[in-house]
Amino acid sequence: MSERIVINPVTRISGFLEIDTTVDNSIVSDAQTKGLLFRGFEKMLTGRSPFDAVYFTQRICGICSSAHAMASTMALEDAMDIAVPDQGKYLRDIIHGCEYLQNHIRHFYQYTLPDFIKLPQNNTLFAANQTDLRLPKPKNDLIALHYLDSLEISRSAHEMLAILGGKAPHNHGIFIGGITTQATKEKISRLYSLLHNIKEFIDNKMVPDAQTIAHYYQDYFDMGRGYGNFLSFGCFNNYSQLGTLYLNPFTYHDDVKQALDPDKITENIVTSWYTDQTDTFTPYETIAEPDRAKSQAYSWVKAPRYDGLPYESGPLARMWLSGEYRHGISAMDRTLARVFEAKKIAEIIKVLLSNLIPGVDLQQKYTIPDHTVGKGLIDTTRGALGHWLKIENKVISFYQLITPTTWNLSTRTGDNLPGPGEKALIGTRINDTASPIELGRIIRSFDPCISCATHLYRDGSLVNSVQIVS
Amino acid sequence: MSEQQLYNKDFEHIISEINNTIDSLYLTKNCYDKNKLLNNLRRQIANITMLMQNNRINTDSMIDPKNPTASKVFTPAELATYTGKDGNLAYVAVNGVVYDMTNVAAWGGATHFGLTPGKDLTGVFASCHDGQPILSTLPVVGVMAP
Amino acid sequence: MKNKTNSCPNQSEKLKLISMLANKAIASIKNGSLKKRNLVWLELTGCSGNIISLLDGVNPGFRNLATQMVNIIYDNSLMVADGEAAMEKLFSIADDDYILLVEGAVATKDDGLYNVIGQLNGQPVTAYRAINELGPKASYVIAMGACACDGGVTAAKPNPSHAVSIQSVLNRKVIKLPGCPCHPDWLMGTLSYILLYGQPELDSKDRPTMFYSTLIHDICPRRPFFDQGIFAEKLGDKTCMFKIGCRGPVTPVDCPIRKWNQHVNWPIGDDSPCIGCAQFGFPDRMEPFISYNTTREE
Ligand code: HEM
Ligand code: SF4
Repeated sequence: MSERIVINPVTRISGFLEIDTTVDNSIVSDAQTKGLLFRGFEKMLTGRSPFDAVYFTQRICGICSSAHAMASTMALEDAMDIAVPDQGKYLRDIIHGCEYLQNHIRHFYQYTLPDFIKLPQNNTLFAANQTDLRLPKPKNDLIALHYLDSLEISRSAHEMLAILGGKAPHNHGIFIGGITTQATKEKISRLYSLLHNIKEFIDNKMVPDAQTIAHYYQDYFDMGRGYGNFLSFGCFNNYSQLGTLYLNPFTYHDDVKQALDPDKITENIVTSWYTDQTDTFTPYETIAEPDRAKSQAYSWVKAPRYDGLPYESGPLARMWLSGEYRHGISAMDRTLARVFEAKKIAEIIKVLLSNLIPGVDLQQKYTIPDHTVGKGLIDTTRGALGHWLKIENKVISFYQLITPTTWNLSTRTGDNLPGPGEKALIGTRINDTASPIELGRIIRSFDPCISCATHLYRDGSLVNSVQIVS
Repeated sequence: MSEQQLYNKDFEHIISEINNTIDSLYLTKNCYDKNKLLNNLRRQIANITMLMQNNRINTDSMIDPKNPTASKVFTPAELATYTGKDGNLAYVAVNGVVYDMTNVAAWGGATHFGLTPGKDLTGVFASCHDGQPILSTLPVVGVMAP
Repeated sequence: MKNKTNSCPNQSEKLKLISMLANKAIASIKNGSLKKRNLVWLELTGCSGNIISLLDGVNPGFRNLATQMVNIIYDNSLMVADGEAAMEKLFSIADDDYILLVEGAVATKDDGLYNVIGQLNGQPVTAYRAINELGPKASYVIAMGACACDGGVTAAKPNPSHAVSIQSVLNRKVIKLPGCPCHPDWLMGTLSYILLYGQPELDSKDRPTMFYSTLIHDICPRRPFFDQGIFAEKLGDKTCMFKIGCRGPVTPVDCPIRKWNQHVNWPIGDDSPCIGCAQFGFPDRMEPFISYNTTREE
């Protein structure tokens, strides 16, 4: 018996996503992930002042704005040939690290956990018909309490960010050369004390809570595997004094770990609603034009490929590549890796804090070259993020973005290989097709961010007739 | 009414407003009202600052805005060199009078709501600031050639 | 650091205002003199930054809001229900009393299909349809953030999704809380006031005067530098950011006093210029954000 299951909206993610699956005899036989929001930043950036890209691109995403600040800043530094001193790297990596903490804590407690525990049903926000909740009541209620406690902790991660970055979301701190302001003794000690509380929470609540969930939902270690191809642009690395605190750019495929070669990255638009002279192109090549009428397309997320293959990126990819987490590849492993990574990032921030020198001014009066190109590749909260830009006549003439969720919820190319998110859904057994909770649990393990990933949307479904509103 | 009379009237008016606000502040216990009154007070002080600046400009200025024919005459090409970039000053023409926007707060970085200097902005000024007493607060540097 | 900033009476008064309003609302709801009202958080064409900003708020924070002040009926970022069940929940509120908070602009290109927020009865629900159906019936509509108030970054040139502000599709009063994102205090203060007394005093552009009445420039701690003509040459300097392109002189909001994220810092305090994110016209009319090459010699 063949059945179609659509979930739209997938709530508790960033942005708007639809999961569209075909289920045969309780097994998902095909799946499509579709982003439902288009804003078109690549087009907007053309013609703007290159300096403005740092604050402008942050507005792509409210939950990971610092990620875009990092990538655009690095792209500008590459284009302008500016070397960043270690103190600058430490300071902005602390800002970026705080974004990781904020994101991972919120993703685990506010976005992931409600799939696995029952929150107070007398609250309208939490009221829902949930099935397959397995935790005994005392354990459930303790974690539900932590859900509320975590609000204070993720908030203080953003407070840390603002101490160096001015405000969050959409900070003013990260900029060419490092950050705009200087560290002071006062700021450093405040950061230490906030970090201490966050670390306590992660160690004493978040990690045990994740282990509790993993214990009661062991079958999720066998679900949502995907390809097992991993890719990372590296992060918390390249310090001349400290070397690499986390990870250098690597890929993993067929049990082989290799250094990443950025020239092997392509984007493909065969099943996305775009047209161009070519279906496959490199990041510097072209910004494809939207084309709603394209017949074989079903989504507006493009399909990035590395050496022609779909790759997953994110906390599990990083923890796998760094060798710190090799338990397995699955929905539950993705969640655990994210939680363990939060712990690791807190430790990295502590190291960076201890290396700060107060009062170092990192800023200069910058001038923009007439013509230049540059790229900024960095691993951020959700995975590998790339900004590629060209400058002509001192303004931005070209801006290409490939975000982590574009990798993870990628569409298909001519070979019809599903994207990693789709691949993770295919083969899943759905216990109760009236309540397909498995799909949401698997897809949320990727921490999708559609605000970042989509460049355009149109409902590609040929089954539903599209209702026109005017 | 002369400029000076107008100026005096505005000044007195604002001072009495400020006194009123302070009186009300004594009476209010409510935190919301207090904040509102304090916001008003800030606004009124800002207005006084503007008037003072106005007065200073009109007395400092070598050119009489009422009789600008005696002052420097700009051709459009000349005006266009005052771009506010590369160390050039920022001049803007409105209704035939050329103003120096270089140190006008609202023109930070010599741009203002997407506008750039070195141009005649009579049309946009009318569409954005019609009826607002702004021009008299700006330093005059000359007139446009007829 | 915290103690130091809190000792400024100007700041503590401003902060007290919000917690006073919220505590009063919470107390009135507790003792039954006020009814808990329904709240719908509608995220449209934007970046989810306003819900994140709300989660960053404190005294009152999101926890107070969700557990003591209102019934949050719908919020795609945090609600547990998903799929059609979530959409049914959203549209079933239409005949009830509710306050509508909107973040994000409204994409109008191709009949709104550039932003689909869900699916109901097998049909896609566009942002455009959602705001048109839920906007007119709400008891209050509050636009949060630059995009909802004025199109914001979503509507930046060349506006590929043809995004517009909430007001341009609704023929009714829309209270506007511009900012990119909206400061959690601006929202919580406005909302508490509404729960207690109804619509707060608004300026000619429908911004609550309790937050949006004084120019940043008029209360900026760096104002003495401006008055003396001492200007920053680059980011990181501790003087006035005017020549780098500061938008404080055209942006009426209380950032210098309120500050961000537990009131610890703000853009000018971070040695960078204000980019006017709380003024209409952001971002296109506030750019360039940073210029080194201005009226000063290189
Ligand atoms: C695109 C058209 C324009 C727009 C949208 C615009 C907008 C604004 C706004 C919103 C403010 C006030 C900020 C506030 O007090 O709340 C302002 C102030 C100001 N504008 Fe414009 N403006 C425009 C054109 C111009 C032009 C052409 C000039 C030049 C002559 C100009 C000169 C000023 C000055 C001097 C101020 C400060 C006034 C004061 O101190 O109260 N504006 N503008
Ligand atoms: S930094 Fe900006 S707001 Fe502050 S005084 Fe200078 S111009 Fe005004």
